[in-house]
Amino acid sequence: MSNSLSVAQPRKRAPLWLWPLVWGALLLLSVVAMSAAEPLFRWIEPDARQVIYDRADFYVLLGRHLLVVGIAALVTVVVGVSAGIAVTRERGSDFLPLVGQLASLGQTFPPVAVLALAVPVLGFGTLPIIVALMLYGMLPIVRNTLAGLQAVDIDIKTAAHAMGMTPTQTLRYVELPLAAPVILAGIRTSVTINIATAALGATVGASNLGDPIISGIVNGNMAYVVQGALTIALLALTVDSLFELLQRQLRSRLSAP
Amino acid sequence: MIELSHVSKRFGEETAVDDISLRVPKGKFCALVGTSGCGKSTTLRMINRLIEHSEGDIILDGQAIEVYDPVKLRRRIGYVIQHTGLFPHWNVARNIGLVPRLLKWSAADVQGRVEELMDLLGLPVGEFAHKYPHQLSGGQAQRVGVARALAADPDILLMDEPFGALDPITREKLQDELAKLQARLHKTVVFVTHDMDEALKLADHLVVMREGRIVQQGSPLALLQQPADSFVESLLGGLERGLKQAALTRVKDHMTSMGPTLPAQSRIPADFSLRQALSMMLRDHSDRLTVVDQHDVPIGELSLRRIIKEAQLDKGSARE
Repeated sequence: MSNSLSVAQPRKRAPLWLWPLVWGALLLLSVVAMSAAEPLFRWIEPDARQVIYDRADFYVLLGRHLLVVGIAALVTVVVGVSAGIAVTRERGSDFLPLVGQLASLGQTFPPVAVLALAVPVLGFGTLPIIVALMLYGMLPIVRNTLAGLQAVDIDIKTAAHAMGMTPTQTLRYVELPLAAPVILAGIRTSVTINIATAALGATVGASNLGDPIISGIVNGNMAYVVQGALTIALLALTVDSLFELLQRQLRSRLSAP
Repeated sequence: MIELSHVSKRFGEETAVDDISLRVPKGKFCALVGTSGCGKSTTLRMINRLIEHSEGDIILDGQAIEVYDPVKLRRRIGYVIQHTGLFPHWNVARNIGLVPRLLKWSAADVQGRVEELMDLLGLPVGEFAHKYPHQLSGGQAQRVGVARALAADPDILLMDEPFGALDPITREKLQDELAKLQARLHKTVVFVTHDMDEALKLADHLVVMREGRIVQQGSPLALLQQPADSFVESLLGGLERGLKQAALTRVKDHMTSMGPTLPAQSRIPADFSLRQALSMMLRDHSDRLTVVDQHDVPIGELSLRRIIKEAQLDKGSARE
């Protein structure tokens, strides 16, 4: 080895899968064994008749919560990334400013207001919250897709073009892989925000981990609120740490300097 | 063969390339030289249709380039750029094998070709095949760039200031290697540079451009002997011109057979340049050198008087 610097050992780190495992385990524990913590919640609400939320099982609420966030994320990723790709192509470049502004608008519009406007049109239930989450989560994905694609070195794109790659091949083998870490960071932000925002769905009849919180507020039972908030926080931490793992893996696979 | 006749390129109001005509015969090395913004890179990019020309004809191997499918055309033309444009997420072997893979060669053929090229460019396969571009020095990266351009064995090679970003020592080394490579491979090369010395060293045919027009073209020696105007003359180095011309001339073209006088003290190999011979004369305070072959056997003599006399004759004949 001619270069002794390149063999320097990296700093010792906790294994990559440690945090997803820790947060995931705590999340699982909280949804299956919330009642075991009854003394704790009793201490928070000594006078309440009931201190453990029991109108639905926590794992059912967790499942519904994940479903709502998942569907919204899927649609947002497909729409946001496609829009980002479309406006960075030569033909779509006229729409670049428009798409950027629309995405920003989506995030400046408060999700509560979106819910209020969506319910009369879509009715109560899961649909309004999915729409609200989509609008709210669009900005980070569109913005990062644009940033990632625009950051690909012009020399690299010229070379791809000049070597005889078709535009589709350039996009698939050069631009998207190079932009992937930035796009993934946008998806991570979007999904993590929406895990918390999805709790609002409980106000329009979409049953999820927001239920205990809303119910706790309505009935003046702080123990319920804590249970809902705790589970949502653990879910957000689990998902966020999974994204961290994914990003690291991607980075090492792309071996960027 | 590449032939441009009356080619122009306009970007809106602005004319980047203005009515240029030039011919690069098969296997020849043509250098486009000029200051930045003179249209030399635009000219290069019109040949592989990265930029479409506005007027005139560009003929490749007897066919107008509009006839070719642009993607297929580019796959049969090698292209090297200044900052290499290597894909940072691909290792060296994968970068080099790009065009063969686009042409759907079998994996074994691609691998064979990649190893052959790495050998050719002095990049040991074991050491470099799995390195990534950011792990390479500037010179190594540009070798990979050249290997990538040569991968599918194209007849034509376009090079856009390929050595412009390298330090002088690495640049000179790569120029020497490119000259050797060209002597072996006989590609039809169009090479863009703003470095006149580089152009003089490598080119068979030199094209000087200014503000989108060709000011003068011809062999390097012809340009050195008779620059068309003061612009070409200044590009050629003004007062240094004499030495640049000497650098392009071999000792063996000016030597005489051994005279009756005693052999001179200093010896110079016959394939060295006249510039090196002059430098040696200055160093050794001598106006005569003994010319030797590769086995260090004296085969002739070089005298300052004769060099100057022949230069006068050349000048006379060039005027006619």
